[in-house]
Amino acid sequence: MSHIAPLPLDAITDPELRALMAEGEALGVPDDLFARIVARAPKQAVPLMRALLMSHAQGDVDHKLKEIMRILLARFAGDKYLASLRSNKARAMGLTETRIDDGCFAYEDDGKGFSEAEKCALRYADLMFLDANQVDKAFYDEMKKHWSEAQIMELGAFIAFHYGMAMFMRSLGTKAAS
Amino acid sequence: MALRYSELMSVDPDAVDAAFFDELRQHYSDDEIVELGAFIGFNLGYHTFFGTLKFYPLFSPDGRLVSQAESEKLYGAAPASLKPEAAE
Repeated sequence: MSHIAPLPLDAITDPELRALMAEGEALGVPDDLFARIVARAPKQAVPLMRALLMSHAQGDVDHKLKEIMRILLARFAGDKYLASLRSNKARAMGLTETRIDDGCFAYEDDGKGFSEAEKCALRYADLMFLDANQVDKAFYDEMKKHWSEAQIMELGAFIAFHYGMAMFMRSLGTKAAS
Repeated sequence: MALRYSELMSVDPDAVDAAFFDELRQHYSDDEIVELGAFIGFNLGYHTFFGTLKFYPLFSPDGRLVSQAESEKLYGAAPASLKPEAAE
């Protein structure tokens, strides 16, 4: 049980937040538990939900890759709640649990079939909070061989935001509803 | 307590446990704790990301718009706001 009780669903009446919650339920990430917790801070709830959804499901980078990165970051943060959620969109695109585990634990293994661009992006997520000193000029030079600057900003902001929210959910001791 | 929450979430998240929340609740409501926690998580992520980008302030201490190369020379490794004289 979370250290903070989520609001009951019927206590959330803001139509904008309810629309974003419906979007989250359709995607599968986040489910309404996240929204029912952040709704306790109503001025933050809508921008947080919108940023979480937009950074994950929109943009120029492959959604399946972002889903692997999101789960890698949630696992690294020790957040069992967000780590347990799965994107329905990524599943529909063919992402499997085996591929997720390979992406989290064995992406450098050439036999797993990740492209150099994907390896670089997964390394970016891996190193950012493990050893940010390794994310230096040489690392960004390597990233630029595979990704545009706009894509690197999309990836970096995605990593920062989703790791931050995973640490927040971990601090609350939030567990998946099912 | 809020500063401790911000510090522990990054350096020792296991210490943010039920006992910690009991103490936090003596000073903040549950709604305020959610506001603090989301703020801390957001900043924890973005400051690490921005740190890897190695960019420097756009303006010199006397208010001139400067290049990143000049700014690096002016500010060096430490952000000016963390220097003791910046707080005076």
